[in-house]
Amino acid sequence: MSSPHGGLDDQIERLMQCKPLPEAEVRALCEKAKEILMEESNVQPVRSPVTICGDIHGQFHDLAELFRIGGKCPDTNYLFMGDYVDRGYYSVETVTLLVSLKVRYPQRITILRGNHESRQITQVYGFYDECLRKYGNATVWKTFTDLFDYFPLTALVESEIFCLHGGLSPSIETLDNIRNFDRTQEVPHEGPMCDLLWSDPDDRCGWGISPRGAGYTFGQDISEQFNHTNNLRLIARAHQLVMEGFNWAHEQKVVTIFSAPNYCYRCGNMASILEVDDCREHTFIQFEPAPRRGEPDVTRRTPDYFL
Amino acid sequence: MEAAPLSSLQEEGEPDESSSSSAFSAAAVPPRPATHHSLHKYAPTDWSAYFDEERPVAIPDTEDVFNVYMAGSEGPVVFCLHGGGYSGLSFALAANQIKGKARVVAMDLRGHGKSSTSDDLDLSIESLTNDVIAVIRTLYGDPPPAIILVGHSMGGSVAVHVAARRAIRNLHGLVVVDVVEGTAMASLIHMQKILLNRAQHFPSIEKAIEWSVKGGPLRNIDSARISIPSTLKYDESKECYTYRTPLEKTEKYWKGWYEGLSDKFLSCPVQKILLLAGTDRLDRALTIGQMQGKFQMIVVRHTGHAIQEDVPEEFASHILNFISRNKIGPNGVEIPGLIKKWQH
Repeated sequence: MSSPHGGLDDQIERLMQCKPLPEAEVRALCEKAKEILMEESNVQPVRSPVTICGDIHGQFHDLAELFRIGGKCPDTNYLFMGDYVDRGYYSVETVTLLVSLKVRYPQRITILRGNHESRQITQVYGFYDECLRKYGNATVWKTFTDLFDYFPLTALVESEIFCLHGGLSPSIETLDNIRNFDRTQEVPHEGPMCDLLWSDPDDRCGWGISPRGAGYTFGQDISEQFNHTNNLRLIARAHQLVMEGFNWAHEQKVVTIFSAPNYCYRCGNMASILEVDDCREHTFIQFEPAPRRGEPDVTRRTPDYFL
Repeated sequence: MEAAPLSSLQEEGEPDESSSSSAFSAAAVPPRPATHHSLHKYAPTDWSAYFDEERPVAIPDTEDVFNVYMAGSEGPVVFCLHGGGYSGLSFALAANQIKGKARVVAMDLRGHGKSSTSDDLDLSIESLTNDVIAVIRTLYGDPPPAIILVGHSMGGSVAVHVAARRAIRNLHGLVVVDVVEGTAMASLIHMQKILLNRAQHFPSIEKAIEWSVKGGPLRNIDSARISIPSTLKYDESKECYTYRTPLEKTEKYWKGWYEGLSDKFLSCPVQKILLLAGTDRLDRALTIGQMQGKFQMIVVRHTGHAIQEDVPEEFASHILNFISRNKIGPNGVEIPGLIKKWQH
C-alpha cells in the first residue's frame, strides 16, 4: 500500500536511526521545505499545547532522547528556537530530521533560525566540514544554508510567549517591526535581524554592547517595556548555555532554554524543554545526555606550540 | 666550520639548493653563497619601516631596561605582548596597519629582544606581569590613556594576568591570541622536544629567516624578515646565530603561565576577544564561557600560531573593529550608555 507520505515517512525512519539521506533526497526535501517556510511569518503564530526547545548543535542522540522524553512528533507539537548545527558530530542528521519533520507535519513543528544557521558561522564551527566529510562535496551544505535564509526568526505562542533564538534589539520596539522586514538573507553582522539571533539578557539595566561581538545585552527594564508594549507574558529564548537547562531572568519576564546536554561533549550541563499545555501552564522537563553508542571520543589534537 | 650549522638546518628544513653540496663533502666545500634573489628575498628589514620610535624604558630603582616599539599618535593604546621566544617586532606588520587609528606599543619582554634585566632567565608569570605593569606606569604614569592589552601565546597569559590584577586603570580591552589553558597544559610535556627539534644554529640571519618560513613557525616572509632577527644572537664561539632566549632553561615557569588561565581570563572585568588559529582548542571553562556569551571568539583560518605575523591585515582589522565596536577612545569608553534607544 502506498501512502502519499510513504517516501517521507521512510526518510524520517532512516533519519531516526541517525542515517543521513542521499544528496538528491536532501535537495528535494529542501525544495519542499522552502515552499513551506517561505509562507511563514517573521513572527510565526503557534498554538498550544507546544513544547519549546533550545539549542541542539548536532547532538543527534540527545535530540532522539528529547523526542523520547517530550513525545514523538506529531504526537507532541514542537517549537525549536534554532542552532541545530555545528559543534556536535551529527549536524547533518539533526538538521535533516528536523526539516523532514517540518515538511511532513508543517502545522506540528516550528523551526526558527539560530545564529548558527548561517553560511559564515557553519564554515567555522563544523557543519561545513561535516557535509564535506559525509557527502564528499559542499552541495548539501549549500542546500541547507540556502534554506536557512527562509527559516522564521521568531514565533508567538498564543499571542503571549514570544520565542526567538537570541533576544531583543534596540531597533525593534514592536512585533510589527519584525513582521515588516525581509528575512531571506544571510544573517547580517549588525542590525535588527542580527540582534534577534545574537542578543542576551543581562543583569544590568538598559542596552549594553554584547561581549560576543554581535547583538546587544538588554536589561530587565527593556524586557518589561517590550512585554508591556506587545502584551506579552514571557520571552522564551535559547542561545546561552545554562547549567540546569533552563534559567529565569528579569523576574520571570525572560527564560533561557538550552537543549544540548553536556554541550560539546564536555560542559557537564543539563538540558531542558518547556511544555506549554492547553491551559498555557508551563512545565520544564530536564534531561541528561543519552547513553552513547559508538560515538567518537572527544580527542583533540595537541597543538604543536605553546610559547 | 659551516658544516655544523648547515647540517642542523638541513635536518629541520626542506633540502635547499645552497647547502645540498654539503651532502657530498661538507667539510671541504664552503656553502655556495646565497643567490642574489634569495639574499634579497630573506633579507632582514628594519623596525623603522613599521614603527615610529624605539625607546628604552628604564624601570626606576631597578637595573631593568625594557625596549619598546611605538607607532601612531592618536587613539587608544594597543599594548602588545609577544609569545615566548618572539619579540615586540612580532607585531610590526600589524602595527603598521593599526597605527593610523590607534597607538601601538610593542615591548620586548624580559629575556627577549633588546630588553635587559637583572635576571633574564626569570620568566615566571609573576615577574613578566610585574614588568608589564612597571613599563606601562613608567611610560604613562597613572592614569594611563585607554589601553587594550594584546597578548600572543605566552604573552597572552601575561596579558590576562595583568588584566586580572586590575592594576592598570583605564584598561578597556583584552585580546588573547591563540592560547587556551587546556590545550597548552596538555602540550607542555612535548615542549622540550619541540624546542629541541627546531633548527638551532644558522650561518646567517637570512638562513634563519628562510628556515622560519620553510620549516619553522611563520608563514609570512615579510613578517619573518622584520621579526626573526630580533629573536637571534650571534654565538662567537660557534660562529653562528642561535636563539636569543634560551627557552629550554625556563621550563620550571611554563606551568605557571597556563595554570588557571581560563578562569582568570573569564574573570577579567573588560571586553575580551580570543583569537584562535583553529576551531577546537577550547577547554571546558572556555566552552561554557563562550556559550554563555562572556567573550568574543574569532577563529582565523589559513594561519599558523603567530596570527599577527601570518595574516597581519586581518589581525589588525579584528583589533580595530573591537576598538570601534566597544567605542574605546583615547581616554576611555566614549559616551558610555549612549546606545540608541527606542523612540518614544
